[in-house]
Amino acid sequence: MNLYRQSIAMFGIVLPALGGVLFIALGFTLKSKMLDSLSNKQTLFESSKNSRIKALEIETKLTLQRPKISHWSVLLAEESSSAVNSHLRAIAETLPPKEFQKTAFERNNAKAGFGSATAQPSSQLRIVFRGTFRTMQRAFLELETSMPQLQLQELRIDPNPNPQIPSTLLNFQVNYTAWEN
Amino acid sequence: MVTFQHPASLNAFERYQQASWMLLHSTRATNPAWYQAALDLDVQLHIRVDGLCVSSFFYERRKEAWTIGPAITEADLRDTPKMEACAAEVLKQVRTFKASSLGVILHLADEFTTAELKPTFDNPAALLDLRETAVRKPTNILDDSSIPPEQNSWRVLPYPAQGSGVIGTTITITRKYAPFLTVFRNAGESSNFPIITHALSAPLVAIMGLAQSAQFAPGKSSVAILQYPWLSVLAFFNEHADLLLIRTLQHRHLRQAPNLRQALTTTYASLELIDPDLFILPLSLDLDPGLHRYLSDTFPLSRVAIVIYSTPEVVPDWCPELVIAATPPPMDDLAPSLTFSTFRSENWALQDFLPAATEVVEVYPTRAEMLLLRGLKLARMTLYTLTVLMLAWVVFGIVDIFCSDAWTFDPNQANVIKGRLRNLTHEHQKSEHWDNLLADRSKAWTSMELLSRLFPEHCGVLVRNFAHTVRPESAPGQTKIGFMKEWRITGLARDEAVDRLNTLNTQEGIAALFGEIARLTANPAFNPAVRTRSIAINVRTQENSGFKPLPVSETFDTDESTYPFNFDLTITQRFEAADPLALNVNKSP
Repeated sequence: MNLYRQSIAMFGIVLPALGGVLFIALGFTLKSKMLDSLSNKQTLFESSKNSRIKALEIETKLTLQRPKISHWSVLLAEESSSAVNSHLRAIAETLPPKEFQKTAFERNNAKAGFGSATAQPSSQLRIVFRGTFRTMQRAFLELETSMPQLQLQELRIDPNPNPQIPSTLLNFQVNYTAWEN
Repeated sequence: MVTFQHPASLNAFERYQQASWMLLHSTRATNPAWYQAALDLDVQLHIRVDGLCVSSFFYERRKEAWTIGPAITEADLRDTPKMEACAAEVLKQVRTFKASSLGVILHLADEFTTAELKPTFDNPAALLDLRETAVRKPTNILDDSSIPPEQNSWRVLPYPAQGSGVIGTTITITRKYAPFLTVFRNAGESSNFPIITHALSAPLVAIMGLAQSAQFAPGKSSVAILQYPWLSVLAFFNEHADLLLIRTLQHRHLRQAPNLRQALTTTYASLELIDPDLFILPLSLDLDPGLHRYLSDTFPLSRVAIVIYSTPEVVPDWCPELVIAATPPPMDDLAPSLTFSTFRSENWALQDFLPAATEVVEVYPTRAEMLLLRGLKLARMTLYTLTVLMLAWVVFGIVDIFCSDAWTFDPNQANVIKGRLRNLTHEHQKSEHWDNLLADRSKAWTSMELLSRLFPEHCGVLVRNFAHTVRPESAPGQTKIGFMKEWRITGLARDEAVDRLNTLNTQEGIAALFGEIARLTANPAFNPAVRTRSIAINVRTQENSGFKPLPVSETFDTDESTYPFNFDLTITQRFEAADPLALNVNKSP
């Protein structure tokens, strides 16, 4: 008796259940692999999305900065000492000659001041003037505005050393660190 | 009609297919009657064959109602074409009962012989095993091995009485009516209508019915004489009404057994019975009515009684076996002895002599297997549904994945965007770097503005020297460094300027001045509100040794001897590495 029981159990539930489990397992495996793949792609996609957003942000900032940068590039492309001299010449033309006199100019490639603290190439400029206070201030304003790469290291203002000859002219000695490309 | 194969001849999958076909095309799974005994079914057809006539009655179990059955002749029982017609007619009549099944019970009253068990079987506890062996391999237990087992059927009957000498006997019935019952079963199979057959030995049933019909006298042995047309059955009981022995006497074409007296006398002697009561059971039409007088005359010391079983109106009182078999006595009707209780409870008297062959029965799944098959069908449907739902979920998930932006994203684009971002970042870093280097951290013209705001014209101060220096701080390993700015001013001061110097020589005074410079020049380096920078001032004042007091109208601003004080003023501004104007250490990227 019960000659059918094994067959019924085998074909009635065991094999269909195995088939079902196999199908489900296959489906889950496939989905799991796809999810893994999607996870990788999602990471890449999100990273790319963030990169795009960042790029847009930077692009926006750079759009505003580019004119300034290109201006700096032009400035930094010139040799510092000749650029300073040409600017001073241009400034001198707009100022009373007696109140603005360049008496010495010296360029030194050795690093000092700000230049010694950074890896950025720079040179040292030492310039001596004689002039009146306000005219020199205007000249410095012009020069430093035109050449933002000049960082003041030292400024000395001394009166005329001869007290017997009173004069409104003062001696100015400035030391600049000029940033270079 | 579909011919089924025995499962042993099929492979596993064919077996499953055959069982599934039965589940689909038969009512075996839904109608429990297929697996019930004929006597348990609601509608029963009782057919009684006593050699003289064939009687048939329908019995509706729920209603406990008997009705006349179809007219069945001896030829219907033996001739195959007539058997089939008879079965068809019976099925037709059964339909009128709106029955879902039919039990066909054949009461065999035309033959009854006993065959002795082998003398070696003398253990009453082995009776159940003997009962099974009698069905499967009767030759193993029969003393007479010459009887052909193909043509006969044996069933064990115990002798429960103590001191009977043997534990029981076997009742022998020929298989001549087996084809008739097979035709009925096949008719049921082909019409998908359960017809369950059962062949009973009518004398055994009648003996079981004695419990309700005979008046057993306590302490008195007795003999039941069952009169049938062709034979008489003698059942001997001891004083406790337990069966001692069964004998058969063939009538040999006479109306009663010719050797009845002799048989009774010899058995009395062998069983040591003394004047037992004699119960006569007339169990057919046209029997010898003089038996009672004969026995009374022959055994004057014995009580002779005719036992009539009370039957329903439809059923004649000479065929009580039908009623005895179909209707068990009430539960409170106590049997007079162990014999009668075990005959009923253990079905010794209701054994089926002509069951379907084991090979035929095994063709069909058992009730448990059919229920299993049906249950598993539902389980499978559930499983398939779950599988489909799961797969649908998986498929929808996959479709969802396919539709996502991330899935369709081209990885090459990522490299392009990354490259673009790298370039932009580089450009931005370069821009930031130069923005840092070119910041307004140290300008000559702002320092001159500081000087002019420190000491405006005609404020009573004559400045001798002005020196401003800027020194970066040393901070190895850092990306930014701070720096220190120092202004040192020496000069001369009149009395009215001392207050100004004192005001400047406070944190608030110098901070206010730096704030003013920052506002006027828009140079962030002078902003004192930034927390990462600090300002310190120190003013030292002392008497001018060359001072010559003169009236105010006679003094000149450039005359140092008109200034009573010398002063030395030092301002130190420190920028930390965290300051917005701190200097980048690295080179331009």
